[in-house]
Amino acid sequence: MKKLLAFIFAVSLASVAWADATLINGAGATFPYPIYSKWFDEYAKMNPGMTFNYQSIGSGGGIKQITAKTVDFGASDGPMTQDQLNEAPGRIYHIPTVMGAVVVAYNLQGVKTGLKLTGDILADIFLGKITKWNDARIVAENPGVNLPDQSIVVIHRSDGSGTTYIFVDYLSSVSPAWKGKVGKGTSVNWPVGLGGKGNEGVAGLEKQTPGAIGYVELAYAKQNDLTYAHMKNSSGNYIEPKIESVTKAAEGVSIAPDFRVSIVNSSNPEAYPISSFTWLLIYKEMDDHAKGEAIVNFIKWAITDGQKYTEALDYAPLPANVVSMIQEKLKAVKY
Amino acid sequence: MQTMDFDKAFQRTKAKRYFMDQAIVYVLFLCAFVLLFILFSILTHLVINGVSSINVNFFIHLPKPVGEVGGGMANAITGTLTLLFLAVLFGVPIGLAAGIYLNEYADYRFAQVVRFTIDVMNGIPSIVFGIFAYVICVLPMKTFSVLSGGFALGIMMIPMVTRTTEQFVRMVPNQLREAGLALGAPKWRVIVDIVLPSSIGGIMTGIMVALARVAGETAPLLFTAFGNRFWNHNLMQPIAALPLQIFSYAISPFEDWHRQAWAGAIVLIVVIFSINLLANYFMNRRHRFLNGQ
Repeated sequence: MKKLLAFIFAVSLASVAWADATLINGAGATFPYPIYSKWFDEYAKMNPGMTFNYQSIGSGGGIKQITAKTVDFGASDGPMTQDQLNEAPGRIYHIPTVMGAVVVAYNLQGVKTGLKLTGDILADIFLGKITKWNDARIVAENPGVNLPDQSIVVIHRSDGSGTTYIFVDYLSSVSPAWKGKVGKGTSVNWPVGLGGKGNEGVAGLEKQTPGAIGYVELAYAKQNDLTYAHMKNSSGNYIEPKIESVTKAAEGVSIAPDFRVSIVNSSNPEAYPISSFTWLLIYKEMDDHAKGEAIVNFIKWAITDGQKYTEALDYAPLPANVVSMIQEKLKAVKY
Repeated sequence: MQTMDFDKAFQRTKAKRYFMDQAIVYVLFLCAFVLLFILFSILTHLVINGVSSINVNFFIHLPKPVGEVGGGMANAITGTLTLLFLAVLFGVPIGLAAGIYLNEYADYRFAQVVRFTIDVMNGIPSIVFGIFAYVICVLPMKTFSVLSGGFALGIMMIPMVTRTTEQFVRMVPNQLREAGLALGAPKWRVIVDIVLPSSIGGIMTGIMVALARVAGETAPLLFTAFGNRFWNHNLMQPIAALPLQIFSYAISPFEDWHRQAWAGAIVLIVVIFSINLLANYFMNRRHRFLNGQ
């Protein structure tokens, strides 16, 4: 018995003492999870002993955990509101990392990718005003497409989500009715529809439900072979969601110094209208010197060399002017 | 006359009663069979879907980045073992001591209160233990950690260990205690040298069953152990665990991750199964001990 106790004691002591070099923990958005995990993997290969552990618990969760300081950095696709920023125990910086598109995916027998939709129609579908796929307004946008007489099944996110924020931010900017009735946020009061958990859950529901319409991040739509719409932008052009059209969305938008900027419904004629930045959330004053230095070095790498991994995963790289703005901003971070 | 009537009635209803008897026994058998069938179909399903993904890589490699094929769950397997080890450290001493106290020292009223508390604790959903550990470990320490995960699992074990310890200690015959006391041994010595050795098999079984139950828990780990894509040897940092890894792989949209989730499930079942076998072994030893062999 004594020997056993001594052994247990020795083992627990040893495991406490055997600490790793640096482990940095982060949590948040599911939208950029594919690119983040790629980055952290590549970065760990180049910098052994420097590991970034990222858990994709959703943007809402990311904001919550960075505010509670249980993680070293957060991640979100919806910028924190002024109230949320005031609640945090320190000054939080939003650092854009990549841009991405939220696509409107549908499940319609015989209709391929490229159904043409406008923001107005989309808002009315999600408001429950348009209920049939062969509604006159959808038909008018799509001459020559054989639209079935089928009910539309609306699918949205059930959890607090940055993808939702981007989507309803867009609907609010194109439809006064949506803005007045529902508004924007990481979770809203949906007038109609079914809920799925995470981008994964929505993609799954879409696949199983004939007549479904929903919104997911571009990479999730591609990996699941979902069909998705071309959206009419503010200049009246129908735009396919892809890297180039997302990049265009940031052109001509003046970037606020705190980076909390919305690029939905961009005025650029070639822009895909439901595009957004996604942000890392870090404290301006880091508690831990080693971790702070590691995070800043990682960001410096991610916004420059790291951007080459974006394309394969269907994200758009940051515009050059934003990169230099971030580099300037990082100088203010204290650790 | 009366016996004749009775006899007739007996004959008349005999077939019916015989049929009822057979039917009910048959229904009972079916229920028992359903039980076997459920376990069997779960295992077959697991093996069909997961066995092809179990290979050496699965046991020695770290997970790959999202959507990339390959990699393994080495860190999650060791993570689960580490968490279980900590759970035993937290849960067993308290459960054991409380169980002994309840049977050997506590007055009736107090014991009743504690037993009721144990029943209530057993009914608390595991996610609540997770939230509890989050609030009292993670928030003040400002970090998700192995320690908080082990703590959450450990406090889940306490009521189970207490209950079984108490029951097995009670089964030790009073004559044994009296014999010890008659020889002049103080009470504590009787407990340590007579009561515990005679009930240790049963107590070990209780510990193993409790351990097997918490081994598969996901909910208490979500906001404590948190998950980790890399190795971690530091108790104050997040760690991977099999149930967590299975959960996040199963809801992902990637084929390869689905296969690995099945493989992870098999490994987890094997771990739990081995713990159960160990429990069985201790139980058998106890029987032999009590039979004087």
